[in-house]
Amino acid sequence: MGKKFLKFEFLLLFAVFIIATCGLIYELVAGTLASYLLGDSVKQFSFIIGVYLFSMGIGSFFSKFFHKNLLNTFVEIEILVGLIGGMSSVVLFLLFENVGSFQFILYLFVFVTGFLVGLEIPLLMNILKDRVEFKDLVSNVFTFDYIGALLASILFPLVLVPKLGIMGTSLFFGMINVSIAIVLCYLLKRELKKVYFLKAKAIFSFVLLLTVFIFSNDILAYSEGKLYGENIIYTNSTPYQRIVLTHNKSDYRLYLNNNLQFSSADEYRYHEALVHPAMSIAKSVKNVLVFGGGDGLAVREILKYKDVEKVTLVDLDEGMTKLFKTNTVLTGFNQNSLNNPKVTVINTDAYIWSKSCKEQFDVAIIDFPDPSNYSLGKLYSLNFYQTLKTILKPDAVAVIQTTSPYFAPKSFWCINKTVMQVFPQVDAYHAYVPSFGEWGYTIAINGFGTTFNTVNRKAEKLKFYNYQFDRFNYFTNDMISNEIEINRLDNQILVRYFDEEWGRLQ
Amino acid sequence: MKSGEDCNKSRRGFIKVIGAALIAVPFLQFCSDKIAVLLIRLSGTKHLLGHRLWIKDFPKPTKQIQIPYLIVGGGISGLSAARQFQKRGISDFLILELENHLGGNSSNGQNKYSKYPLGAHYLPLPNFQDKELLYFLEEEKIILGYDSKGFPIFDELQLTFAPDERLFYKNNWQEGVVPKNGNLVSDDLEFEKFFKQMDVFRTSKGEDQKYLFDIPIYLSSKDEKTRTLDKITMKQWFKQHHFTSEPLFNYIDYCCKDDFGLGIEYVSAWAGIHYFAGRKQDSTSEKHDSVLTWPEGNARLASHLKKYTTDKSLKNHLVYEVKIENQKVIAKAFDDATKTSVEIIADKVIMASPQFVNQYLISDRKTFTKDFQYTPWLLATLVVNDLSDNGSFPLSWDNVIYDAKGLGYVYDQHQTLNQVQDKKVITYYYSFSSADLKKTRKELYKKDKEYWKQFVLNDLKIAHPDIEECTEEIEVFLLGHGMISPAPGFIFGEAKKQAKQNIQKKIYFAHSDLSGISIFEEAFHQGINAVNELLDDTTLDS
Repeated sequence: MGKKFLKFEFLLLFAVFIIATCGLIYELVAGTLASYLLGDSVKQFSFIIGVYLFSMGIGSFFSKFFHKNLLNTFVEIEILVGLIGGMSSVVLFLLFENVGSFQFILYLFVFVTGFLVGLEIPLLMNILKDRVEFKDLVSNVFTFDYIGALLASILFPLVLVPKLGIMGTSLFFGMINVSIAIVLCYLLKRELKKVYFLKAKAIFSFVLLLTVFIFSNDILAYSEGKLYGENIIYTNSTPYQRIVLTHNKSDYRLYLNNNLQFSSADEYRYHEALVHPAMSIAKSVKNVLVFGGGDGLAVREILKYKDVEKVTLVDLDEGMTKLFKTNTVLTGFNQNSLNNPKVTVINTDAYIWSKSCKEQFDVAIIDFPDPSNYSLGKLYSLNFYQTLKTILKPDAVAVIQTTSPYFAPKSFWCINKTVMQVFPQVDAYHAYVPSFGEWGYTIAINGFGTTFNTVNRKAEKLKFYNYQFDRFNYFTNDMISNEIEINRLDNQILVRYFDEEWGRLQ
Repeated sequence: MKSGEDCNKSRRGFIKVIGAALIAVPFLQFCSDKIAVLLIRLSGTKHLLGHRLWIKDFPKPTKQIQIPYLIVGGGISGLSAARQFQKRGISDFLILELENHLGGNSSNGQNKYSKYPLGAHYLPLPNFQDKELLYFLEEEKIILGYDSKGFPIFDELQLTFAPDERLFYKNNWQEGVVPKNGNLVSDDLEFEKFFKQMDVFRTSKGEDQKYLFDIPIYLSSKDEKTRTLDKITMKQWFKQHHFTSEPLFNYIDYCCKDDFGLGIEYVSAWAGIHYFAGRKQDSTSEKHDSVLTWPEGNARLASHLKKYTTDKSLKNHLVYEVKIENQKVIAKAFDDATKTSVEIIADKVIMASPQFVNQYLISDRKTFTKDFQYTPWLLATLVVNDLSDNGSFPLSWDNVIYDAKGLGYVYDQHQTLNQVQDKKVITYYYSFSSADLKKTRKELYKKDKEYWKQFVLNDLKIAHPDIEECTEEIEVFLLGHGMISPAPGFIFGEAKKQAKQNIQKKIYFAHSDLSGISIFEEAFHQGINAVNELLDDTTLDS
C-alpha cells in the first residue's frame, strides 16, 4: 500500500466524517423547525429521528443495486445531499403557511436526506473493499461516522443555531457537503469519469447555496410573518408595519411587526379597561379623540355610549385603518366601528397633528405601540403630554396604555410620573389580559371637576369592567417601582427603561 | 490605528460585496443610474467679492448716509451689538453686511425636506454665571422659566433629543463620542485620568478668585501658570502628562477640531483644555453636557437677534474703507446689488468684522493681523433615501466616525416630532486643520465639486457602505475663513490685544476672533461689550 493510496482512503473517510456530520445537522434542523413551527418538540424530534434512521436503512438496502462507477455515484450523492439538505430549511420556511403540505414536505426532506446518507456508507465500503482489509474498513468507516455525529450534535445547539440561525446552518453545511464533492473532483480526477460534468454540477450547486445563504436574511424577513404557530389567514405590509392575522380554533390574533396586538378571545378585557373608566369619569363624552387604535376596537367600545357625538381617530397607518374598515373578519370584531358616521379617521402623525389641532376634546384614548424605540418614545414625552393638554377641554379625561406594570414597572411608572407633571389629577390602574399578562393604564383628569371614582354614565352589557374604578387601581409590591425619572425628548429615559425591562425577558 | 479601512467591512458589508459581484451586471447598472441623478452644488461665502479688497477697484461713492452709529458685519457679534444698542435705548444705527443675509457663521440653508446649518449648529448649555446669555435665552423662550432650585428650565423641543451622540468605533456604533467598547484597559485608565484632570481644571479658580477657564475667555483667571499652557500645543501637553493612548489622542483631536478647527497637533493647550473646562455644566441639576440645537443650527439664534435690526440693515454691502476725518468716521461700502458705492458718515463705528478683513479697511493693522489665522471648513449637506448601517446603535443627532477625515455628521431632522422621514438630511463637517492654513485655503478653492463629493462620500462610507447609492443630493459649502484658530501664543498674545484697542474712541472692535475661539458665547459678549464700552466712553466724554 503506497502513500498515494493512504491519501485516497483518508480522503474518503474524511468524506464519511463530513457526510455524517452534515446528515445529522439536517436531521436536527428538520427537528428544530418542526417543533418550532408545529409545536410539541418531543413528538417532532422523535418522529424525525425515526424517519431519518429508517430512510437510512432503505438507502443502505438500495445501495446494492449500484454496480458501476461507484466513485462517480458517491460524488454525485455528496452533491445531492448538500443541495437537498442545504435547501431544506429554506423551502420549509417558505412553505410554512400551508401547514398540510408543510408536514408532507418536511418528512419528504427527512426521508430523502436519510436515504442518500444511507446510500453513501455502503457505497463507500464497496469502493474501498478491494483496497482495505474488511476489518479495518468497517471499523474506520463507522468510527468516522459516529465521531461526525457527536460533533454535529454538540455544535448544533451551542454554536451553529446561535451564530448562523437555523436557515444559515443548513445552508452552510450544504456548502460544506458540496465543497467536499468539489475537492474530491479535483483530487480524484484520475479515478473519476467525466469529471468536468461532475465539477460543473458541484460548482453550480455551491453557487446556488451561497447565493441563498447571502440572501437568507431577506428570505427570513419574508417568511417571518409565517412563524406564529397558528394558521395565518392574512398578511399585509404597509409602509409602517407588517400586519399578520392568525386563526386558531375560535381565536383570531393580530400581530404588528411580530408583536401581539390583540387576541379575539380576550381583547374585550384590554379594550373595556382602556375605554370605560375614562368614558364614565368624564363630565361629557360628546367629542372623543383616539390616538393609535387603528383596529377600531377602542372605537367600538366608545360608541356604546349614546351621548357620543363625534369620534376622531388619528392613526399613522392608512393600511391598518383601511383593513379594519373593509375586511369582513375584522369589521366583525370592531362591529364596523370605523365606518360609523360619527367616526372620522385621520391618517397622519399624531404628534404633529396635535401641534396644529384647533379643536378641544372631552375624552382622549391613547393607544400607541409600546415605547420600544426612540421614535415611539417621543409619543410618551413630557412635551407630548403638554401638547395633549392643549387639545383637551377643562375636566377632560385622558387615558394612556402604559405597557405592563408587572413586566416593566419602571417603564410603567415613568409614563405615569411624566403625565403627573402635566395634569392635576393622575392615577394608574391595571387589568389582567390572558394573552398579554398583567396590563396597565395611566389616567388623567384635566381639572378638578370630576374624580376617578365618579361614574357619570354606564354602557350596558360589558363583560369585564364593572365601573368600580377603585377595584383596579391597587398595585401589589411587585408592580411598583420608585426612583424613576421623567421622560423628556432630550433624555428618552423611557426607551432605556423599556429596553432594559423587556430585553431581560427575551 | 487603522481600525477603519482594513477590518471595517462588517459581515453584512462583506456579504453585500459578494452579493454585488454575483449579480454584477444589473447591479452596476442600477448604481450608475443613481449617480447620474445625484445633484451636487458647490457654494460658499462670497470670497470672490471679498478678494476685491486686495485691489479696491470700487466705483466712487454716489450716495451719502449720515447715522450716529454704524455696525460693520452682520454675524453674531454685529447682531448682538445691534441688540445691545436697542437695549440701551438707541435705535439710530445701521448694520452693513457683505452677504445677502445676516447671520455670518450662524446661517442656514433649506431644501424640500429640512432646514440645515451652513456653519455653527449648536449652543452648549450656558454657564450658570453667564446671566446675560441666560437672559437672552429667556427672552427668546428657549428658557421657559426657573425651577424651585433656581435652575433654568430649557424648552424640551430645543434641547437635543435623545439619543444625542454616537461613535462608529471598531466597526460598531456606540453611544456617546468617547471611545468605549473595544478599548484596552490602559486606554480606559487614561481616559479616566484625563477626565479627572479636566474636572479639576473646570472647577479650579486662580488666586484672583476667577475660574482658570471661563466663558467668555476674558473672565478667566490671570493665573500665570495656567496661561503658560497657551505657549505649547495640546499634543505637547498630552505628551508631557505621559498620555499614550491612541483612542484618547484621537478623541481630543476630534474635540479640538470640533470647536476650533485646529487639531491636537496645532492648537494651543490652553484652548484645548478650555474645550473641556470652560463649560461649567452647572445650569441644570441633572443632565450636564446637553446642548441646544435646531435643524437650521445657530441660524435660529441669529434670527432671534435679527429682529433688532429690522429696517436698519444693508445687505450685499462690502465695506472697503473706514477712516476718521473731522471727528467723524467715514465708511465706504460697495453695494454688490446695484454696483454702486455709498459713503456712510457716522459718529462711532463698531467693527464686527473679522480682522483679516479689517486690515484692508483700516490703515496700519497689517503687522498684528498676520497673527490671526483662520481654519477653512467644509460642510456638505446630503439628502439620502436611506441611511443604513449595521444597526449597532440608532441614528443620533451627532454621528462621529472614529479615524475618519471629517468630524462626522449631524442628522438635521433629529429635532422633529414625526415618527418617520421619507428622506433623511444630514450635514457633514470637515475642518482643514494644518500647519499652513493659507496654503490649505488656496488649495481648497482649486478643487471641483466632483472631487469634494467623492471626498465626503468616501469618508461616510466607513460607517455607511452603501451611502453613495442612497444619496440623491449633495450641497457642498466652503468657508475659506471658517473660524479663528487659537494656535499657541495667540489667545494671550500681543496681536489680539492690539487689534482689540479702539481707535480714538471712535472705532471699536467686536468679533469672536478677538476672543481667540469661535463660539457663540464669545461673539455674543463681544457685541454687548463693544456697545457698552462705546456708550460708556461717550458718557465719560460729555
